[in-house]
Amino acid sequence: MTVSALTRPGERDRLIVKLSELDWVFVLVLSLIAGAGALMLFSIAGSSWTPWAAAHVARFGICLLMMIALAMIDIRVWFALAYPIYGLGLLLLVAVEAVGDIRLGAQRWLSIGSFSFQPSEVMKLGIVLALARLYHGVSAERARLSWWLLIPAMMIGVPVLLVAHQPDLGTAMLIALTGAAIVMLAGLSWKIIGAAVVGALAVIPPFVLFGMHDYQRQRVLTFLDPESDPSGSGYHILQSMIALGSGGLLGKGYGLGSQSQLNFLPEKQTDFIFATLAEEFGFVGCVSLLILYAAAIFMALRTSYLSHSHFGRLGAAGVTATFTLYVMINGAMVMGLAPVVGVPMPMLSYGGTVMLTVMIGFGLVQSVRVHRYAEVTSGKGSFV
Amino acid sequence: MTQPAIFFAEVNERQGLFHRRAILLGAFAGIGISALGARLAYLQLFQTQRYEKLAVSNQFNFKLAPAPRGVIVDRNGAVLAANRPNFRLMVARDKGSDTEGVLKSLANFVPLDDARQRRLLKDIHNAPKRAPVPVMEDMSWEQFSAINVRAPELPGVTADVGEVRVYPHGGAFAHVIGYVAKVNREDIDDTPNPEPIMLHPGFRIGKQGVEKALDAALRGRAGAHKVEVDANGREVGHDVDGDIPAVPGDEVQLTLDVDIQNRALEVFGEESGGAVMMDCRNGDILCMSSAPSFDANRFVRGLTGPEYRALAGYERKPLLDKCLTGLYPPGSTFKTMTALAILNAGIDPEARVSCGGGMNFGGRYFHCHKRGGHGSQNLHEAIKNSCDTYFYSMSLRVGPDRIAQAARAFGLGQTFDIGIPGQKKGTVPDPAWKKRYFSKNEAQQPWWPGENLSYAIGQGYLQVNALQLAVMTARLANGLKALNPRLIKSVGGKERPKGSDGPDLPFPTDHIERVRAGMAAVTDQAQGGTAWRNSQLGLGDILMAGKTGTAQVRNYDSGGSRGKGGTWGLRDHGLFVAFAPIDAPRYAIAVIVQHGMGGGAAAAPRAREIMRTALLKDPELMSRIQKPVPMPPLVADPELDTVPAVSNVERPV
Repeated sequence: MTVSALTRPGERDRLIVKLSELDWVFVLVLSLIAGAGALMLFSIAGSSWTPWAAAHVARFGICLLMMIALAMIDIRVWFALAYPIYGLGLLLLVAVEAVGDIRLGAQRWLSIGSFSFQPSEVMKLGIVLALARLYHGVSAERARLSWWLLIPAMMIGVPVLLVAHQPDLGTAMLIALTGAAIVMLAGLSWKIIGAAVVGALAVIPPFVLFGMHDYQRQRVLTFLDPESDPSGSGYHILQSMIALGSGGLLGKGYGLGSQSQLNFLPEKQTDFIFATLAEEFGFVGCVSLLILYAAAIFMALRTSYLSHSHFGRLGAAGVTATFTLYVMINGAMVMGLAPVVGVPMPMLSYGGTVMLTVMIGFGLVQSVRVHRYAEVTSGKGSFV
Repeated sequence: MTQPAIFFAEVNERQGLFHRRAILLGAFAGIGISALGARLAYLQLFQTQRYEKLAVSNQFNFKLAPAPRGVIVDRNGAVLAANRPNFRLMVARDKGSDTEGVLKSLANFVPLDDARQRRLLKDIHNAPKRAPVPVMEDMSWEQFSAINVRAPELPGVTADVGEVRVYPHGGAFAHVIGYVAKVNREDIDDTPNPEPIMLHPGFRIGKQGVEKALDAALRGRAGAHKVEVDANGREVGHDVDGDIPAVPGDEVQLTLDVDIQNRALEVFGEESGGAVMMDCRNGDILCMSSAPSFDANRFVRGLTGPEYRALAGYERKPLLDKCLTGLYPPGSTFKTMTALAILNAGIDPEARVSCGGGMNFGGRYFHCHKRGGHGSQNLHEAIKNSCDTYFYSMSLRVGPDRIAQAARAFGLGQTFDIGIPGQKKGTVPDPAWKKRYFSKNEAQQPWWPGENLSYAIGQGYLQVNALQLAVMTARLANGLKALNPRLIKSVGGKERPKGSDGPDLPFPTDHIERVRAGMAAVTDQAQGGTAWRNSQLGLGDILMAGKTGTAQVRNYDSGGSRGKGGTWGLRDHGLFVAFAPIDAPRYAIAVIVQHGMGGGAAAAPRAREIMRTALLKDPELMSRIQKPVPMPPLVADPELDTVPAVSNVERPV
């Protein structure tokens, strides 16, 4: 296929052309990360495909196919569905307030038949789509500094408060930061950014002391001094740091990590899987994995550069911001730099929900790439 | 979509703004990931050693293992207390384990009735999580292997090989050696710095005798197994190279002789009492036997309630050590001491007292044991016949202080440092003692002259134990040294001081010689002493000298059977002290037969049998016994021209 062929009208709508426009290197990077996850899950199950490794590979396969399928969907369809998805997410969050299941002391789950899921996951994607849709029809002047900014502020604030009330501070924070990232990418004035940062710094300490549930406050305080209570709430962080530190440069060898194999590491297959990799493959393995994550982040960010539509730019960048936040928060937690919040390492950790969310997000990113030249309606004042 | 979506200028402005901000996002992500990398480098490259140490201390635990307990042997190295392998079964509870079900399955392999299962279930429940509780000791090999094979299906069950104490001679040494048993609360409270090994389920602590007194030496130093554990503390592996070896306990050698000790318990039969034999050259205790005895092995396993009640409730008191703890009036065996006091007072040994069957003193008639009287008696005859009247009479001239002085010089009224607990001092009375003893009751304080009479024949306040009587006899037999008894020959190869290292006796040799001559007459058939019938050794020219004693346990003034029959608890004690050979004393013995009636009849034959065992084991004496008797000169028989058969020449065995 020549470059000139792609300029022919309608040529870019052909499926085979769309598939060739996918970022296959990106697919390779994601597969490598998921493969590393399967490798570690196989190791910590005592060299067994069950219970985790096989399921992890199967899930990733399905999610990858879904991502490719979503990438084929025209960006204008995504554009049209942005507000409905956000609206559905809000509805579900209200529903979970009313009739949600209480699991592990928090009201996060909604059951439909035998299938149960967390509506807050829908909102992670919904906030990206809705804000991208909103900013698509707005001038740079308004996006920078105007009373109009109250609209995106409310669009972020309402779901964040609903999720925080469940209570799921980790996800609420993730949604808030994702929204904030899009607002900033859209060109928010530095004055407001500066004021928000100062405001947040002023608000957080009293919130930690008075506004949190006991277990949440305990986690934060423990993070500040994990060795104060090594067998209690400091246990997670301490054991994770022992796993990391004892791995050294080259690690203890595959399947030989005492911390992971003997269960000293808590939640080793989910939140702390990075620590098992660190223990068995050492600094070299960890840096390799971080390079893969960095590659994924920069490829996704580059996609946002390529887009000719503002919706596409902000959507792809928003998903990238979410993904980056996942990696940073989990990494910082495992390394003892952040309190223990239930944020997994995307693609590496066992667990379907986060993989599904992230892969749907990457479906949007790839759709933006495939349809980067597509013209998206201004959508000014329109909800279609 | 007919008109251009957005004005160009605006498009460019928004796009430019986005691109600048996106670079910032990229920079933020880059910085963030670099920060994570830096943190990783800090943890994994610079703090490795610290976290490696923490990981290892997570992964490995040291599990204490008791050291093999030191062996106890007799003077010739024969084993008196050893260890044998013990197949133990233990069950621990863990999170979510079904202890009840496990016990039920175990009942298929080992006998565990319902009541025992219930009790174990409670024990296991009260024990800390994962602390193994012993369920069965001493399984057979078949039971042990059957359970080990099925271990994976029985969570929390461990079958291992421990060591258990074994006393091959059962009861013969029970009082001297004692026994070991499980550690109880008091043992831990009594120890100033309890070692952690004391809490190990396989650990046993010495409870009596040598096991208790030398517990620290016998115990050794516990070792440890290096085991790999998971986060729940379950053992998943064993690093043999990392084990800390245990230091076995010291070997303890006693001066006792297994053959003599066994013979002593044997000759007591159903009777109750004690026998102590000493080597009168160096003070070594060759035999210290208390009867009836008990099987120490049962105490190791743990007595059942009925077993313990049977032992504690029996009137002949098997749990009491009659050699050290039991106190008895020495009766006429004490006349040897009175005789020394008489000589020490400067009284002529040839001075005579006429015995008409007793004497009047202080308005009371003091009987001699021979109702018809012994007639005229000097010191030698008085010892030989055990004439009470002679000693009654002489005691008034000697006084209690001299008698007490002799008794104390020969070891009565004191305890000896033989290395095991439980000795009672007994009482050697004198006026000063009586004043102290009745300090609250002034009317009782004066020493009445009549008390001299009882004192002289070993009655009254006088109380001794069998070890003291043996020391007294050994010192008499030795004649020179104030011998001290020695029970523990060596600990861990280090020899304890001999008993002959002490000072000389404060009595002239010729006084002691006279008393010994009297004792020789006691057993002499030609002189017809009180014990001649029961003290013939039958070992050629090796003869035994002794002194009988028959001690009242109550006052006969009220009449009655004079302690010669009737209720067992009211009968006289029979005592006998002896030494042999007379010409070169080697062994001294004291035998007390509690309520045995008559020292000559009950105690002397037992002393003789024990003495024979000792003499026959002595190689020097054996060669003397087996020395061929010179052939009688041949007398030619004029009638028969044949040589008489040699068979009519008696050869001692």
